[in-house]
Amino acid sequence: MPDLFFLPAAPLPPNQIIWFGVLLLAGVIGGEVARRVLFLPRITGYVAAGLALGPEGFALIDKALLHELRGFADISIGLILFELGHRIDLRWLKRSPRLVLTSLAECALGAGLVYFTLRTFFALDVLHASAAAAIAIATSPAVVMRITADLGAEGQVTERALLLTALNCSVAVLALTALIPWLYLEYRGGWRTILLHPMYLLAGSFALGLGASAATLALLKWLGKREEIQAVLLIALILATIGAAIALKLSVLLALLAYGALVRNLDRHYHLAAPDFGLTGQIFFLILFVLAGANLDLHAAWAGIVIGASLAAVRFAGKAVGILAFVTGGRMQVRQGLLLALALTPMSGLAVIMLQDTQSLFPEFGRTLASVVLPAVVLLEIAGPVLTQLALKFAGEARPKPAEKS
Amino acid sequence: MGELPFKPSQPLSLGVELELQIVNTRDYNLTRGASDLLGALAKSKHPGDIKPEITESMVEMSTSVHESHGKLVAELRTMRDAVAAAAHGLNLGIAGGGTHAFQKWNDRRIYDTERFNHLAGLYGYLAKQFTVFGQHIHVGCVDGDEAVYLAHMFSRYVPHFIALSASSPFQQGEDTLFDSSRLSVVNAFPLSGTMPLVHHWAEFEAYFSKMQGFGIVKSMKDFYWDIRPKPEFGTIEIRVCDTPLSVDRAAALAAYAQALARYLRLERPRPISAEPYLVYSYNRFQACRHGMEASLIEPCDGGSASMRQDLAATFARIAPHAEALGCRPLVQGLLTGAQDSGNDARRLRARLKETGSFPDVARWQCEQWMQPSK
Repeated sequence: MPDLFFLPAAPLPPNQIIWFGVLLLAGVIGGEVARRVLFLPRITGYVAAGLALGPEGFALIDKALLHELRGFADISIGLILFELGHRIDLRWLKRSPRLVLTSLAECALGAGLVYFTLRTFFALDVLHASAAAAIAIATSPAVVMRITADLGAEGQVTERALLLTALNCSVAVLALTALIPWLYLEYRGGWRTILLHPMYLLAGSFALGLGASAATLALLKWLGKREEIQAVLLIALILATIGAAIALKLSVLLALLAYGALVRNLDRHYHLAAPDFGLTGQIFFLILFVLAGANLDLHAAWAGIVIGASLAAVRFAGKAVGILAFVTGGRMQVRQGLLLALALTPMSGLAVIMLQDTQSLFPEFGRTLASVVLPAVVLLEIAGPVLTQLALKFAGEARPKPAEKS
Repeated sequence: MGELPFKPSQPLSLGVELELQIVNTRDYNLTRGASDLLGALAKSKHPGDIKPEITESMVEMSTSVHESHGKLVAELRTMRDAVAAAAHGLNLGIAGGGTHAFQKWNDRRIYDTERFNHLAGLYGYLAKQFTVFGQHIHVGCVDGDEAVYLAHMFSRYVPHFIALSASSPFQQGEDTLFDSSRLSVVNAFPLSGTMPLVHHWAEFEAYFSKMQGFGIVKSMKDFYWDIRPKPEFGTIEIRVCDTPLSVDRAAALAAYAQALARYLRLERPRPISAEPYLVYSYNRFQACRHGMEASLIEPCDGGSASMRQDLAATFARIAPHAEALGCRPLVQGLLTGAQDSGNDARRLRARLKETGSFPDVARWQCEQWMQPSK
């Protein structure tokens, strides 16, 4: 045994804990630089920090490592989707059917225009165009939630942006799942796979969400309303649900959305206080954005700049028309409707995860699909937070600057 | 004619203003909802007037002028239903109660108008802390002299209005042990307190001109007194009530004020004097702190009586007047029924004990306020 066996070997063996720290540190610094120096949302700084660390930047993080760190992203997106699902208030939707129509119009027109554009101007086949349109339905929940929280935004545009995001994410995930049989028909798979796989994904994820909600409510009934304990309990159950979804090869997205929505709407006796993950939530938000930044493929985006920009533009146009068609004449004004549409522009981590999920089932299809969708994601990953922030500020819903003594 | 003309109005006519809480329906904290709510209400037809208040989490509804409390109740209910319907569409909750149980005062946002921004600049943190919710009752007076007389005479009954309306036991997530902690917030303002001891309207006008000349006030609005004359309406305004948990209770308080005013203006039981003001702050504090359990000191003979005894004695005195106004059962229910059930502050505390959660209390407050009257 050499005398200096206790010293570490060179090169230093990396571990996930170091990376967790590095990602956080880079994100915090990037976020503050963005806010203080460039007057941009912190999120943009997180993404930039990730980009700088990633393969496109100083290449501290390579593709293999990104794959290893996927667990962090899964936890983050799970927490976010749970909170998002919890935003779906069925009683409000029941009272205001116009909101449901707004949501459907916004989803349908946005997706429809994306589909039409891809088919007509970019000569894409039906399946690719459909899958891209389905992914484009979703607004980035992480961006909308983080910007809302950072700005302390409150009001109708904020509330509706969060609700419509929750709904359009659910619709996007369902639509993409519904495409699976056609993908199997095109690529491979017997009729049993064609029928049973989407059913397993849908029913299984829903059942998992339902089971988790039932367990949560039963535990809360026993625990009582101590909010600090509720938060820890929720995080524990969310982590378990994410892990179970991965192990059972179910959809993390669907399971967690269902969990959040069901736990709220089944809670007839109000056992659950509004979830507040506090600092833990913020840490995972930050990690998610840094990882999303590291994942950004600027070269591919640049190569696909035309398709990316067209997709982003028609998606916004579709959403705006859909919202304006139903929002005016209701309780909102045209101006608020437009700002709402603007607030819904971000695309981000959720789109990437939907792409990755598709790619893991249909590698070849997934790759070509990614080349179509990713340029728009990159574009809106960068521009989206700024647009959402502008929308909420113009709506007058951001928290004003604190008063200073002159 | 002096500088502050008093517009004569129908004696004993009634009007009510209610400041209301706007909360979200997720965690039931106060939220920025006034401008959206007022925008939605502008599209609906309703009687009365619904206006912004100093912060974005408040809205004020004021009724038209009524001669009978029956019409007042009906209008309050119609307005309540309109506000509740608009709030439902926006997924907002509307609640009564003198304070919000767990809001943090510094989260509040000033409603963007010139006057409110001016007040925020003038009063600093007091402006945001002023997110408290009161009921104001206007009683019509034939002339300024009557207004001065009634304003002084009503001060004897201020503890009653405080105890009967008290609904602000909680502030900033704590039990204050007060039944009405809202009035302590009002006390912090430099122009709070009571009207000076003037005997006639002309004397009051002279006082006002002097204060205006000093540059201390611009209009009557700048006085935050417990009871103040409102010359442009031709009323006196009783401002010590917390907003009750339901419009029906608000209407009952107004009926009590009306019956009391009839008794005072017809029987003229006492001349204006300084004596009642000797015990004023003591009795007021008793009512704020202990509500229906307060013990009061009678200003003239120094004897003490419990709040309940004093309410019962007062009812015996004003019963014929309530009868004449057609509101006897309502006033009796309020003054003597309260002896069994206590006030809203007691109900709020019971609710907290039952659920152990402030958001649950706030949700229950919304249900109480928004549900149609039985």
